[in-house]
Amino acid sequence: METTQAFTPEFYTAVMPEMLLFFGLLALMIIPNLGKGTFRIRGTQIRLPWFLGGQRYAWSSNPHLPAWIATLTLTGAFVAVADSLRGGVDAVHIVSSDAESAKELLMINGFSRVFELIFFGALALASFSSMNRLRVEGVGGKLKVDQLYNNRRQADFYILMLTCGLGMSVVALAQDLFVLFIGLELASFSTYVLVAFLKETKAGSEAGMKYFIVGSVASGVGLYGLSMLYLWAGSLQFDVLAATFAVSGTEPLPLIGIGFVLVGFGFKVSAAPFHFAAPDAYAGASSPVAGVLATASKAMGMVGLIRMLLIVAAPDASDGSAVWLVCLGALAALTMTWGNIAALGSTNPKRMLAYSSVAHAGYMLAGLTAVGAWTWDPTFAGNESDAALMVLTAVLFHLLVLVAFKLGAFLVLSILESDGDASRLSSLGGLAKREPLLAFAMFIFMISLAGVPPMAGFLSKLMVIMGIVNVGVGTGAGGLGDFHWVWWLALLMVLNSAVSVFYYLRVAVVMFFDEPEEGREGPLPKGWQVRTSILVCVLATVLIGVFGNSLLEMCRTAAESLTTKW
Amino acid sequence: MEGTELKETMYVASDMFQFAPLIILLPMMAFAVILFLGRVFNGNPTWKNAVKEGGMIALGVMSAVLIISVLLIMDFIGGAGAGHESVLHWFTSGVWDGTSAGVTTEKFGFGLYVDHLTVMLLFVASFLCLLINVFSIGYMNTDPINDNRNHRFYAEFTLFCSGMLGMVLADSFLWLFIFWEIMGLCSYLLIGFYYERPSAAYAAKKAFLTTRIGDVFLMIGLVMLWDLFGSLDYVVVFDTANIEHVAEQSAGTLQWALGLMFIGAVGKSAQFPLHVWLPDAMEGPTPVSALIHAATMVNAGLYLVARMFPFFGAEALHGDLADLAYIIAVIGGITAVMAAAIAFVQIDLKKVLAYSTMSQLAYIFTGLGCAMYLANTLDWHHNDADHYIVIVAFGAALFHLFNHAMAKGMLFMASGSVIHEMHHAHHHLHHHDDHGDDHDDHHDDDFDAQSMENMGGLASKMPLTATAMLVGSASIMGLPLIGGFWSKEGIIANAWRVVQDDPRFLFPAMCVLIGAGMTGFYMSRMWLKTFAGKPKTEVAAHVGPTNTWIKTPLFILIFVSLSSVFFAGMGFTHWAPDEHYALMGEKSLFEGILYEMEHAFANSDMYFFVLTYIAIALGAVAGPGLAMALYGGQLEEGETAKPWMTPVIRLNAWVKGRFNFDNTAFAESTLAVALQNRLYIDQYYDMAMMKIVAGFSSKAAEVDTKVIDGTIKTIETSSQSLSGAVRSLTTGSARDYILMVAVGMLVIFMLVWGVA
Repeated sequence: METTQAFTPEFYTAVMPEMLLFFGLLALMIIPNLGKGTFRIRGTQIRLPWFLGGQRYAWSSNPHLPAWIATLTLTGAFVAVADSLRGGVDAVHIVSSDAESAKELLMINGFSRVFELIFFGALALASFSSMNRLRVEGVGGKLKVDQLYNNRRQADFYILMLTCGLGMSVVALAQDLFVLFIGLELASFSTYVLVAFLKETKAGSEAGMKYFIVGSVASGVGLYGLSMLYLWAGSLQFDVLAATFAVSGTEPLPLIGIGFVLVGFGFKVSAAPFHFAAPDAYAGASSPVAGVLATASKAMGMVGLIRMLLIVAAPDASDGSAVWLVCLGALAALTMTWGNIAALGSTNPKRMLAYSSVAHAGYMLAGLTAVGAWTWDPTFAGNESDAALMVLTAVLFHLLVLVAFKLGAFLVLSILESDGDASRLSSLGGLAKREPLLAFAMFIFMISLAGVPPMAGFLSKLMVIMGIVNVGVGTGAGGLGDFHWVWWLALLMVLNSAVSVFYYLRVAVVMFFDEPEEGREGPLPKGWQVRTSILVCVLATVLIGVFGNSLLEMCRTAAESLTTKW
Repeated sequence: MEGTELKETMYVASDMFQFAPLIILLPMMAFAVILFLGRVFNGNPTWKNAVKEGGMIALGVMSAVLIISVLLIMDFIGGAGAGHESVLHWFTSGVWDGTSAGVTTEKFGFGLYVDHLTVMLLFVASFLCLLINVFSIGYMNTDPINDNRNHRFYAEFTLFCSGMLGMVLADSFLWLFIFWEIMGLCSYLLIGFYYERPSAAYAAKKAFLTTRIGDVFLMIGLVMLWDLFGSLDYVVVFDTANIEHVAEQSAGTLQWALGLMFIGAVGKSAQFPLHVWLPDAMEGPTPVSALIHAATMVNAGLYLVARMFPFFGAEALHGDLADLAYIIAVIGGITAVMAAAIAFVQIDLKKVLAYSTMSQLAYIFTGLGCAMYLANTLDWHHNDADHYIVIVAFGAALFHLFNHAMAKGMLFMASGSVIHEMHHAHHHLHHHDDHGDDHDDHHDDDFDAQSMENMGGLASKMPLTATAMLVGSASIMGLPLIGGFWSKEGIIANAWRVVQDDPRFLFPAMCVLIGAGMTGFYMSRMWLKTFAGKPKTEVAAHVGPTNTWIKTPLFILIFVSLSSVFFAGMGFTHWAPDEHYALMGEKSLFEGILYEMEHAFANSDMYFFVLTYIAIALGAVAGPGLAMALYGGQLEEGETAKPWMTPVIRLNAWVKGRFNFDNTAFAESTLAVALQNRLYIDQYYDMAMMKIVAGFSSKAAEVDTKVIDGTIKTIETSSQSLSGAVRSLTTGSARDYILMVAVGMLVIFMLVWGVA
C-alpha cells in the first residue's frame, strides 16, 4: 500500500493508462489540424509557418488518422493495465494535498484495474471497428466542402470515445462522491453525443435526445441522493461515509439518499424500470457505440453500484442485514424477467440485444443481492470458499467476458448496418451463405450469451448461479425451508436463461436457414478492421470459456482487493 | 460425501506427460482438417492420388500418436511409474450435497491417468490404429465405390481413434464415458459408411441402439458411483481411505453401481445378451471391422471392467463383490460357448471372425471375473502367495486382450485382403474386355465375395495373406507356443483354480474349457475352407496377390503374434494391477521364457498339469482335427503353397482322406438350423420390440404431440403476447420514460422505507 499526492512521480506511474488517454486526446485535437498554416507578422509580408490550420498535409488529412490514434491510445492503455495486473497490483492511494486532513480522492488497486481493463478493451475494439462504420469520403484528392466536413467529423467521434474512457476510469478509481460524479458525467455526456452521432438517420439524433433527457433526469436524481448523503455525513469520502453508515445507517436520510443513488446507477446499468431509453438508444446508435453502451457503460454503472452498496452502505456482519437487500432483490428479479420477456418478441436485432443486456444486468444485480445476504466479513480475502467472494468474483468475470461476446455480436450487426440496415431480424437472413465465417462468429456469440458450454458465457453465468445458490444454502441448512430467499433468484435466473435461449437461437435459425433479403444477396462490405475485432472477440469467447481459470483467479484477487486496503 | 474425505493421491508424473495430451488432440484435429480439406478439394487429383483423400494426413497423425505413446510407455516402464496429471482445470464450483454438510467444492477439468492398464491399452490402440490406417489406404482407396468419399472415412477414423485413446488416458469415469460415447458415435457412422445400402443403415442403427441400452445402465451406474464418492475421478474413487469409508456404509450399493457399469461393458464388448449388433456390424468396410470390432472399441468394455479392479482388490471390500465377479465370469462363459457354436455354421468369412471375436472377448471377461474374484476373496495384500495368484490371474486376462487384439486385427485385415482380391478377380473375370470404366456395378450382382463357399485353395495365390490367417488362427485357437496360447491357458487355469475355492465357478470354467475345443474347430474350418482344398468357384481360381499397403500391416502383425512367447517371458502374464509390483527385470528374458514353459507344460501341481493337457488336446488336436476331416484338402494340381503351409495342407489332406464322414445329418438338425438363425435371439428381440416397445412408443408419440407440444405452443404464444404487452410500455416518448423512472423511484423509496 502506498499513499501519494497528486502530480508526484508515483501518481504518474499509477495512473499511467489514464495519462496515455490524456495524451491521446491532445494528439487527437492537434494532429488532424496540422497543416500549412502561417502567421503573418503585422505590418510586414513575412509569414512564419506555425503548422496549425491552413491547408492540411496529405497525412494529417487522412480521415482514418483519428481512428488510428484513438485505437492505438486505447490499446496502449489496455496493455498498460493488463501489464500492471500481472503479478498483482500494489494499491496506490491518491490523496489531496492539504497536509493535516488529507482526503483520499482516487485509489488504484486490482479491483479498479479489472474495470479499466473492461473499459479500455471494449472501447479499443469499438474504435477499431468504427473505422469501417463511420462514413469516410475518399482519401486524398479534391473533396467538396460537405465531404471535407464529414471527414473532419471523424476526429470528434474519437475524441468522444477517449473522453468516455477517461470518465469511466475515473468512476472506477474514485474514492470520493464528488470525483465519482465528475467521472460519471464525463462518461455520460460523451455517450449521449456518441449515440446521436449517427446523423444519417433520424433515429440516431432522436435516440440521442431521448437518452440525454432520461439520463439527465436519472443523473439529477442520483446527484440529489449524493447530496443527501453529504448532508447527513458531512463528508464526501467513501471511508467516512462507510464509518458513519455503520453507526447510524438506518436513519431516514441516508436511506433515501441510497435509494436515489440506486435510481441514478440503475439507469446506467439499465435496470428495469429505468431501462426504457436503452433500447431506443441502442437501436439509434451505430452498432459499435451500442456495443460500448452494453458493455463498458454497464460496467461503469456496476462499479458505482458496488462501491455505493458494498462499501458505503455495507451490510453488517450478520447475514442478510443490508438495508437495500429487498429493494435490490426486487429490482434484480424485475430486471431479468422484463428483459427476457421483452426480448422474446423483439424483431429488431439491436433492440433484442438491448433487452438481452437488460436481462444480463438483472443477473448481475441478483449476484449483488446475494453478496448482501451473506455474512458480510470484509476480511473474506484469502478464504476461497467464501460465498460472497465467489459471487463477487463471478460478477466481475461476467462483466469482463461480456465484452467479448456482447460487443462481438454488435460488431457483426455493424457490418450489416454498413450493408444497409440491421434493424430487422430478416437483415440477418442468409448470412451463412453470404459470409459463413461471420455467421459462425455470430452463432458463437449467441450461444455464449445463452450460456451454452464451453463458451465464456456459460462459465460466467454458472459461477453467478453457483455463488447465489451457495449463499442461499448457507452453512448448516437442513432443507429448502432453511434457505435464504436469494436462492429463488438463482432459480429465476435458470428459468430466465431457458427462456432466453429461444431468442438467441432464433438469430441462428435466421442466419442459417432463411434466405437473404431481396437485393441483399451479394457479398458484405469490406473492412478488415471490424473483422479483426470480431475474430478477437470469438477467440476470447471460446478460449476464456475453456481456459478461463487464470482469468477467474484474476477476478478473485480483484474481488478480494475491493475490501482490503492493498 | 463429506468434504474432508476427499483426498487426492498424487504420484510422480513422467516427463512425457506434457506431450501426452497430443495423443488425443492430434487425431481430433486431423478429424476437422480432413473433413474440411475433403470438402474443399474433393475430386482434385493431387488430393486423390498423393494425399489419398486424407489417408496420408491420418497416417502422419497416427504415426505421431504411436511415437508419443511409445515414448510415454517407455518412460513408464523405465521407472516413472503410475501417474496422474491434471491437464486442464476448467473451473471449480460449489456443490451442495443435500445434507447438512453445506457446500463442498468440485473441480471440473480434464486430466491424464497412466498406470499399467493404460499403458497396455494405449499401445494396443495406437499400434493397431496405425496399422489399420495403412491397411485402409490399400483397401479403401483402391475400390472405386469409395471414390470421393474416402475423406469421410478418414475423418471418422481419426475421430474414432481420438475417442479410443482419450478413453484410455482419461483420468475419471466421466471422461471415460464421454470418449466412450464419441466412439459409439463413430462406430455408428463407420458401420453405416455405405448408408445407401439398407442393410448397412440397419446395422448401424442396430449397433447404436444396442450399445445404447448398455450405455444407459453405465450412466446410471456412474451416477450411483458419484453419489457414493462425490466424484468420478480415479484418484478419488480409488483412494483407499475413500473406499473404506464407502465400504463401511454402502458396500451393497457399490456392488450395484459396478454391476450396472458392467452392463455398459457388456453392450460395448458385445456379450450375451447384448451381442446382437456385432455380426451385423460387419456391413461396414473391412478396415472398420478390424478397427472397431476386433482391435479397439470392443476392448473398451474390457478396459472398463479392468479399471474397476481397485474396488475388487480393496481390503475394505473383502468378499463384498464376489457375486459380481461371478456374474462377470458367467456372462463370459455363456457368450464364449454360444458365440463359438454359432461360428460353426457361418459361411461368411467376416461373420466367423465376428463370432470368434465375441467368443474371445468372453474369454477375457471370464478371466477378469476370476481375477476379480480372487482379488476380492484372497488375502492378497498380506500373503505373498495369494498376491502372486491375483497378479497372474489379472495378467492372463489382459495378456489375452493383447494377443487377441493383435491376432484379430490381423485376421480381419487378412480377410479384408481376401475379400478385396475376390472382388477384383470377379470384376476382371466378368469385365476383362472393358476394364476401367464400369468398376462399381459388381456390387449389384449376386456374387458374394465374402462367402467362404466361393473361396478355397487360396493358399497358393495369396501366400502372405494365407500365412497371416494361419498365424492368427493359431493364435486364437491357442496352438502351443503361438500367440494366445499363453494367455488362454492362463485364463482356463485360473478359472479352474477358482473352482477349487468356489464350486459355483464350475460353470464358467467348463464353458471356457469346452470353448477351447470349439475355437479350434471353427477357426480351422475357416482357414481350411478359404485357403485349402480346390477353388470352389472360378473367381477363386483367378485371385491374385494383394497390394503393399495391405501386406505391410499383415507382415508386421505376423511377427507380433509369433513373438508372443517373448512377451510372456518378459512378464506380460504378470501384468500387474498394483503399482508396487515390479514390472519387468525380475527375471532375465531367458529365465522368464523357461519359467513360462515349465509352468505351461510341466506344472508340478497335478491338477493344473492335467488341465493344461486337456485344454491343449481340445484346442489344438480335437477341434482342428475334426475340421480337417470335414473341410479343405489338397490344392489344385500344379499349385504349391509356401513351405510352412505345405505340412498343414498335407496333414489336412491325409486326415480328410482317412477320417472323412458325412455331416449332413448334423447340418440339417434343429440345432444347426437354430445356430444358422443365431439361436433366434435376434428374432426374439425384434418380436419384443414390436410388441412392447413399438406400442409404448406410439402412445408416447401421441402424448408428445398432444400434451407436450400443446403445452409448449401455449407457453410460446402466451409469452409472445406477454412480450408484446411489455414492449408496448416502451412508447418511444421520453416523457413516458421519465414517468417510469419516477414510478421506479417511488417503489425503491417504499421498499427502503419499509425495511427501515
